[in-house]
Amino acid sequence: MNRPGRPASRWLLLLFLVGTFVSADESLYYPAASDGGPNASLVIHGALDLPQMSPLLEGFHRQNPGLEVHYRNLTTLALHERFLAAPDEADVLLSSAMPWQYRLANAGHARSLDSPAAYRWPAWARWRHELFAITFEPIVMVVNETVIERFGEVRGHADLLALLERHAETLQGKVVTYDPAISGAGYTYAIEESRLSPRYWDLVAALGQADTELVETTGAMLEGLIEGRYLVGYNLLGSYARARLADQPQLRIVMPEDYTLVTQRLALIPHQAPHPAAAERFMDYLIDKTGQTVLARETSLGAIHPALEGAGTATSLRQERGETLRPIILGPSLLATLDDLKREALLSRWQREFSRRASR
Amino acid sequence: MKRGDSLYKRLLGWLLLPLLVLGSLILIQAWVDAQRTADRAFDRLLEAASLAIAEQVQWQDDRLWLDLPPAALEMLATDAEERVFYSLVDDQGHVITGNAELPADPRQEETSDDTLLYRDIDWQGMTLRQGVRRTRLEEWRIREPFEVRVAHSREGRDALTAELWRANLSGIVIMGSLAVISLLFAIRSALSPLTRLRRAIRARDPRTLAPLELPLPRELAELRDTVNGLLTRMRRVRSNQERFIGDASHQLRTPLAGLSARAELALRQDDPARWKEALVAMQATSARTARLAGQLLSLTRLDNPEYRPDLVPLELNALARQALHDHWGTCHRQGVDLGMETAGSEVWIRGIDWLLAEAIGNLIDNACRYGGRRVTVQVEDKPPRLTVEDDGPGIPAQKRLLMLRPFHRDRDDQEGSGLGLAIVDGIARTHRARLQLSAGHDDHGLRVTLQFTGDTP
Repeated sequence: MNRPGRPASRWLLLLFLVGTFVSADESLYYPAASDGGPNASLVIHGALDLPQMSPLLEGFHRQNPGLEVHYRNLTTLALHERFLAAPDEADVLLSSAMPWQYRLANAGHARSLDSPAAYRWPAWARWRHELFAITFEPIVMVVNETVIERFGEVRGHADLLALLERHAETLQGKVVTYDPAISGAGYTYAIEESRLSPRYWDLVAALGQADTELVETTGAMLEGLIEGRYLVGYNLLGSYARARLADQPQLRIVMPEDYTLVTQRLALIPHQAPHPAAAERFMDYLIDKTGQTVLARETSLGAIHPALEGAGTATSLRQERGETLRPIILGPSLLATLDDLKREALLSRWQREFSRRASR
Repeated sequence: MKRGDSLYKRLLGWLLLPLLVLGSLILIQAWVDAQRTADRAFDRLLEAASLAIAEQVQWQDDRLWLDLPPAALEMLATDAEERVFYSLVDDQGHVITGNAELPADPRQEETSDDTLLYRDIDWQGMTLRQGVRRTRLEEWRIREPFEVRVAHSREGRDALTAELWRANLSGIVIMGSLAVISLLFAIRSALSPLTRLRRAIRARDPRTLAPLELPLPRELAELRDTVNGLLTRMRRVRSNQERFIGDASHQLRTPLAGLSARAELALRQDDPARWKEALVAMQATSARTARLAGQLLSLTRLDNPEYRPDLVPLELNALARQALHDHWGTCHRQGVDLGMETAGSEVWIRGIDWLLAEAIGNLIDNACRYGGRRVTVQVEDKPPRLTVEDDGPGIPAQKRLLMLRPFHRDRDDQEGSGLGLAIVDGIARTHRARLQLSAGHDDHGLRVTLQFTGDTP
């Protein structure tokens, strides 16, 4: 990592709390069935909460009972900081903070995985053989049924813009989204969306006009929506929303029809991984059919493996949504996202647009 | 030269080796070229990316400001998924923004123009290609200089280099194999006359000495002509030998026939006195025949080019004196005055005593036989010389050389064999001495001189 950009990006990272349900120092431990020696263990650092992670780890442990598996659930910040402080601690890093993971790999911190599964993995979901996207999580809107009943269907960004512009008074304070200034995820989505369409700024202005509530996490948005404090939520992490809103029929999850951002969790094996062989086995499991099947069936994260079809897979989502899915591209533009000046520029523009038509 | 060494292999080796060296040089050159081409192509990316970044640099809030275009970074990464690094550095060398502290432009001179530098760098264990753009803001009042440094890893370049090189490689390999094949054919056809020559020699009748007649290239024609020259000499030698054998058998047959006739005649008689008379005559004839056979033997031996006797130091005066002593009696009986003139001091040469004694004997004998009444053996020094002179009728100058041929006689005589001078000639050659025939005193008689080379022991 380079020095100059670091303090600011660290600050930014501090705010990058996608895993809303995560509280620090949660961990899972699977002891080895037989004593396989000191090398028969695996340490995973991930920003993925335990209910989603445990089916994956159980599946892996069933396949490799001789391995002792230790999973630490950390926030994306803690995960990153801990890696920089002790690069030889974890065997696998699994994080939704795409730009940070990319930056680590770009700087040469990741080990190349040359297994057959890695070669089969679709090129758009990996960078070199060092960084692998293992999940497929659309960014969604959540709309209360009462809004739909009163003002009609909200199918996409255009509908949302029209709704906000026409009924700003009614929805005053009832809309919620990420605050890009304090949430790393919100900032990432903002920069991606601003690149997708200049009309995004109209949406930001309309959000400002409706006096939209700005929060830090998807969790906070979901809680407010369930409690009824908010009627419309914009840019929520779909995987969490689906898990949390399964028993909330009054809240509808909307995948925008015009375009849907898709975020991915990135896994890498650090160069100084203490148990590289075990790490490669786990990585192979994650990108192989078995691990991906677990992802599709037992979690809401979304499997990428092209051979898998049905609910919870990228394939079916693509069939359903076609060209409107916009996965965040795994490329050097993620580095631009982390640029300090870029961030300052984007945020000041965001603030400007947000307060352009603010009623107060 | 080793066994199994062949001209074919030699030629092949000496032609293939430079070809191989040349081929490797061409391959290396092709690699360097491919690398240069790939670098040129990919340096355009560094140029474009650094330009895209530089264009976004502004002056804002009293400082340099950059709204980094993500496309600039995307540009630096091709299908090879290169690692990408960038930084914006102000005039004082402070990094304004960037994801890596890339090394600075080492150029010293300050240029006001927008300048670009490409170079390979090793950065944190990675081999990167760096592009540094040194430029300045073009605003109304502020002309702040700054540097945009971009870099990416070499995977794309290496892939393109390998691709270009492989494309070249196939051409080079095809040309190389064509060259080798044509080389093989060329050597084979160049060496084919040699095979023809060998076949022609092998196919010859071993008894014939006829010259080789076959068209050959110049270099081999010289060899053929040399062989033909050798054959001509051999033919001459053989005809000489045949004549010599013919002459020799003739010479031996005559006295043997005489012996036989005499014996037959004597056997018809009953008188023992006649028998004795015949026996005496037969003894004389057989003695002469034995001497003739001896002379033929020594002549054959002397004519053998492989006969290389060891020469030992000899004193000529002593030798002449001994010869005088041996022949004085015979000469005296024939009424010939045999005399001697020795040199004042000792005269040493290298030679074989019995051969030289034979030569002197032959010369004295010849002189006596052809009408010499006074024969002188003469020894001189500086150069060492041995001369036998007589006062006989001598030999006309134009016939002197003929006298050296075996069985040649000036006139018919029964006694001489015609071998004497030929033997002397052979002895002279054995001693590497010059044999001179000239007229004696007052143009009378014959003077035969053996002049030895100066290398006295």
